[in-house]
Amino acid sequence: MAEDGKWGVAHVHASFNNTIMTVTDLTGAETIAKSSGGAVVKQNRDEASPYAAMQMAEQIAEEVLAAGIDGVHVRVRGPGGNLQKSPGPGAQATIRAMARAGLEIGRIEDVTPIPHDGSRAPKGKGGF
Amino acid sequence: MRVAVTGTPGTGKTTATEILDTDLDVVHLNEAIREKGLYERVDEERDSVVVDLDAASEWIGDRDDIVIDSHLAHHLDADRVVVLRCRPDVLEERLIERGEGEASAAENAESEALDVILSEAVDAHGAESVYEIEATERTPGDVALEIQSVVDGEREPSAGEVSYIDYL
Ligand SMILES: Nc1ncnc2c1ncn2[C@@H]1O[C@H](COP(=O)(O)OP(=O)(O)O)[C@@H](O)[C@H]1O
Ligand SMILES: [Mg+2]
Repeated sequence: MAEDGKWGVAHVHASFNNTIMTVTDLTGAETIAKSSGGAVVKQNRDEASPYAAMQMAEQIAEEVLAAGIDGVHVRVRGPGGNLQKSPGPGAQATIRAMARAGLEIGRIEDVTPIPHDGSRAPKGKGGF
Repeated sequence: MRVAVTGTPGTGKTTATEILDTDLDVVHLNEAIREKGLYERVDEERDSVVVDLDAASEWIGDRDDIVIDSHLAHHLDADRVVVLRCRPDVLEERLIERGEGEASAAENAESEALDVILSEAVDAHGAESVYEIEATERTPGDVALEIQSVVDGEREPSAGEVSYIDYL
C-alpha cells in the first residue's frame, strides 16, 4: 500500500446469526459505506455458513476502495455465535473478504460489550 | 435438576424467578457474589466486581434441585439453561428506571442486541441445553410459567430465534 494511503475503520457487529458492517473515516465521524446485514445461516453449529457475511464485506470493500480508502483497522463487536473461534465466523469471513478484495487490514480490536449488573464475568470467559 | 436462568441484566430474571412455583430452591447468585465475596477484583469503570467463577461454583457446591438466577449462571454447571431475552430499547429503559447509569444501561443494551449471553450459553452448554425465551411483551407471571415448562421438561430447546441486531 502506498505510504500516503488512506485508512478507515471497519466496525463489524457480529451477533449469534447475523453480521453487519460500517466503514467510517478514522475519527468515526464520516460513514463511507454501510451494510444492511449478512445473515450467517447455521445448518448446525460446527458448520456456520458465513457466506452472506462474506458477500456483504466484498461489496463494502469495493465501495470503500472506490472512495479512495486503501486499508482499514477492524473493530469487532460481538461473539458472532462461535466463541471458540476468535473472532467468530461472521467477523472472520468479513475480514478475509475485505483482504481478498484488496483492502489492507490493520489492527484488529475486540470491543465486545460486557453484560454487567454490579458483577461481571472475567474476560476470556465470555467475550473472546 | 439444576436450571440456570440467565440473560442480560434487565431481562426480568429476578422478577420471574421470585414468583416461580417450583420445588426447586431458587438461588439469586448476584447477591451471594457480593455478600460472600466471590470475586477476584473490582472493575471500577463498570462499578462491578469481577466474579471468581471457581469460588462461585464452590459456594454452590453439589446442590442439585436448584434454579440459579444470574446473568452469570450460564458460566456454571447446569442441566438446562434458560436465556431470557428482551428488546434492547425496552431493556435500556428498564435499567435506567431501575436506577442504572446511562453508560451501563447502554452497554447492557448493546450486549443484548449482539446476543452476547445467548452465544456464551450455547458455546458453554450446547444448543440442546439452551431454552431461549423472548420476554419483552410478556408479564412476569407468563415468563415464570414458561421457565416452569422448561423445568418440567415440557419445552423444546431453542436458540437464535430472535434477532435484535436492528437495534444497534
Ligand atoms: N415481564 C416484565 N415486564 C415488564 N417489566 C419487567 C418484567 N420483568 C421485569 N420487569 C422490570 O424490569 C426491571 C428489571 O427486572 P429484573 O427482574 O430485576 O431483571 P434481571 O434480574 O434480569 O436483571 C425491573 O424494574 C422489573 O420491574
Ligand atoms: Mg437480577
